Amino acid sequence: MAILKQPLPLKNKMTDLFKLTLKESKEGLKSKKFTAVELVQSCLDRINSVDKKLNSFVTITGENALKEAENSDISLPLGGIPIAIKDNYLTVGLRTTASSKVLDQYIAQYNATAVEKLKKAGAIIIGKTNMDAWAHGSSTETSDYGPSLNPWNTGHLPGGSSGGSAAAIAADETIISVGSETAGSIRQPSSWCGVVGFKPTYGRVSRYGIIAMKSSTDSPGPICKTVDDAAVLLEIMSGNDVHDATSINEKPWIRPEMKKNLNGIKIGLPSCYFPKEIQSEVKAAVLMAVETLKKLGAEVIELTDVLDPKYSIAVYTILQRSEVSSNLARFDGVRYGHDRSYFGQEAKRRIMLGTYSLSAGYYDAYYLKAQKVRTLICQDFDNQFQKVDAIIGPVSPTTALKLGAAEGQSMFGEIQDMLVEPSSIAGLPGISIPCGFDKIGLPIGLQIITPQRREDLVYQIAKLFEDNTEYHLQRPKL
Amino acid sequence: MKTTPIIGLEVHVELKTKSKMFCGCDAAHFHVEANTHTCPVCLGLPGALPIPNKTACEWCVKLGLALGCTINEESFFERKNYFYPDLAKGYQITQLQKPFSINGKLDIDGHIIRINRAHMEEDTGKSVHIDGFTLLDFNRSGVPLVEIVSEPDLISAEEAKKYLNKLQQIVRYIGISDADIEKGSMRCEPTVNVKMETDDGQIIYTPLAEIKNVASLTGVMNAINYEIKRQIDQYQSDSIAKNSTNKTTRGWDADKNQTFLQREKEGSADYRYFPEPDIPPITFSKEQIEEIRQTLPELPEAKITKYKALKLSDYDAGLLAEDSAFSFVFEKALGSSTDPEFAKFTANLLNGAIRTHLNETQTEIDINKINATHFQEIFSKKSELSSTAIKQLILESYNSGINPLIFAKDNNLFQISDTGALEQYAKEVIESNPKAVEDYRKNPLAIGFLVGQLMKISCGSANPQTGKDILEKLLK
Repeated sequence: MAILKQPLPLKNKMTDLFKLTLKESKEGLKSKKFTAVELVQSCLDRINSVDKKLNSFVTITGENALKEAENSDISLPLGGIPIAIKDNYLTVGLRTTASSKVLDQYIAQYNATAVEKLKKAGAIIIGKTNMDAWAHGSSTETSDYGPSLNPWNTGHLPGGSSGGSAAAIAADETIISVGSETAGSIRQPSSWCGVVGFKPTYGRVSRYGIIAMKSSTDSPGPICKTVDDAAVLLEIMSGNDVHDATSINEKPWIRPEMKKNLNGIKIGLPSCYFPKEIQSEVKAAVLMAVETLKKLGAEVIELTDVLDPKYSIAVYTILQRSEVSSNLARFDGVRYGHDRSYFGQEAKRRIMLGTYSLSAGYYDAYYLKAQKVRTLICQDFDNQFQKVDAIIGPVSPTTALKLGAAEGQSMFGEIQDMLVEPSSIAGLPGISIPCGFDKIGLPIGLQIITPQRREDLVYQIAKLFEDNTEYHLQRPKL
Repeated sequence: MKTTPIIGLEVHVELKTKSKMFCGCDAAHFHVEANTHTCPVCLGLPGALPIPNKTACEWCVKLGLALGCTINEESFFERKNYFYPDLAKGYQITQLQKPFSINGKLDIDGHIIRINRAHMEEDTGKSVHIDGFTLLDFNRSGVPLVEIVSEPDLISAEEAKKYLNKLQQIVRYIGISDADIEKGSMRCEPTVNVKMETDDGQIIYTPLAEIKNVASLTGVMNAINYEIKRQIDQYQSDSIAKNSTNKTTRGWDADKNQTFLQREKEGSADYRYFPEPDIPPITFSKEQIEEIRQTLPELPEAKITKYKALKLSDYDAGLLAEDSAFSFVFEKALGSSTDPEFAKFTANLLNGAIRTHLNETQTEIDINKINATHFQEIFSKKSELSSTAIKQLILESYNSGINPLIFAKDNNLFQISDTGALEQYAKEVIESNPKAVEDYRKNPLAIGFLVGQLMKISCGSANPQTGKDILEKLLK
């Protein structure tokens, strides 16, 4: 688990391999421009040089990753490619903490289905990334291993809960990574870190072996440098799993054929996704993106009757706290090494609120009512998708906030995630792609949402946008 | 003062499915090395998810149908949250709002006992207390359980016992569980209180008590009887009636033959139920329910009616219908015959010779060893066979499969009905027993002794009736 101190000598001064995308890495490996060992080494070196500053990783695999790289089969889809895994995915032989000291020493006995698939595809785990403890938050500040920092400006937060994975991608500490989203945890950090975060339809990727947060919306998915990289990962991670009763009974998702333009595609722009508090640069960047999409042939329609996302905050909060209070019950002090006193403030708050809202006499007023509103939110999306094929908007009302912004704000995450919560609650697929920068150089993210199981359309729109813009080519200076 | 006990029963039946309720682990846990039948799911490890066992769900529906329940076409699982060291996940997956089966009934000698529900859930692990330590065995964790909850319609310990017997019989008949109370595959928790009507017409209910740890049928009866008496005595000393907060949980101490207080104020327990997000709702279409109904065997009640129509006594019919193997064997031996005489003959052999043999050898009935043709053959020659020989032949048929008629012939078991040979014997008997002949002349009933002698010298091969006829003729 130690970080390798002595980098191996590289041929041809290819010291910047870590900057490569998945596609470029595969091409380089195939044409033997470099080896898997060199690629992994390059990322480890990069981690070694920048992670003290960023704290993207909770655990780094070092020599183990190099050993795996030596034996890697580069003919596999991810053969020899370094991957960073969010620390709530169980990994055999490599500790899984969910960034909580309760699991400080926990080594899983089985791999998450998604991990199993990624490993089978040849990916090499170079480390486990930092997150809000138990995925409770949108900043990584609730991590018991300290917050991760935003590679674009280390005075700012990377977002969360998959903040470590997003920061690791933005800082080129890895070629690819995976995170998980319950309500924004892939898209919001991807937006704040200027990378691509693809949240699939609920049930598209198995939840088996991923430490449960809010079981009814938890959705594992990729965080990568490009839309194509993320799509390749989703192809590998997706597919029905006999170990997950909520997984979609379909074969793995595959990328559709690319469109030349967006002719005939109707894209909705909900006016309520631009609340009063929205940062003006975010609004401007998203409206600029609208112009780009129009140029690509899409018809953009303003949606004025979308259910205000503020309702989602209440629904999400009640349902999430309720499920959390039950999901964290198994960490009862009997097993896993540490007792419940190791839970941080945020987890304790959520357990208490969830326990309260499920209690006799309150269940109807809170949990049951929240479920009813959830149904209304789903119906609202159904109605909107009668009018348009996809919905776009800002991922977050602001760019990355400063370190400490979440302090004392127990609803910080919910407010930051306001614009991604409705689609999460409805189990819809969505993506965050870079669409601009604010005046201090922090990235801005655009989200694209479609009906359930329409990742094909998410991909087509995102890919065309990416192909016609250059935001994704920008990298922070570290 | 008039007192009426009010008894409700919660019965847990452990299904004998191959695998557990929510994972593929072997569901066997009795006398199995601790923690060998476990996996991430039944250990409640982080990230593990439950996959409902289809067979278990269908069996729960099957039991519901056997109990006359309505089957909910859409049901779902829920989480019941509470802490216990052997509860791996910190919650039990069970059913509350929408169980598979609701509103059934059992008829106990004409008294209809309403069944509130038969719902599906999972068992917990087991805490083993040794030398001041508590060890946890998760082999039982996740074993499928059906909980059958009666309404508080039972009015005596005797009736509760009959209800349990009947339920056990049905569960065994439909083949979903061994329902062995001693082994814990059937567990019963009675809830008891007493309705008291004072002489001036006032009605009072004593506080509810739920009784745990009852490990036998006799225990259930004793515990209920003890509790009824205790509650009446208690009320007479403290005059505390039932209210919404004074339900207690009491344990049963079989050695001392008494219940003891375990927990007070059960009314305040809050399990924070909510729908299990890891398992989508489960639907049974009308067609699927009908298909399951088709798999129901004929139940004991129907069997008894059918056997009584063959003129079998209540006792014989009840005994044959008691377990499905025996009734199966009976019907197999009977074949298509509707002859009451043959039915009685077959019932006698099964309830007599075969049952005695099984008891002596401590074995279970083996339905494959029953040869229907042999029963018919023996029956057709029964006038030539002594009752002892008949028993011997059916046991030979059961144990070695040998044709009974060939065996009877080879072993000289056919009785001599040939009058010539019998006359010879009879003459001998008359000659050598003058005293008995004297007696017969005074009292014709004394012929019995002479017949006995005849049987003796013929080594049992004589047909007693023919022998008697010949003796009487010679002594005329």
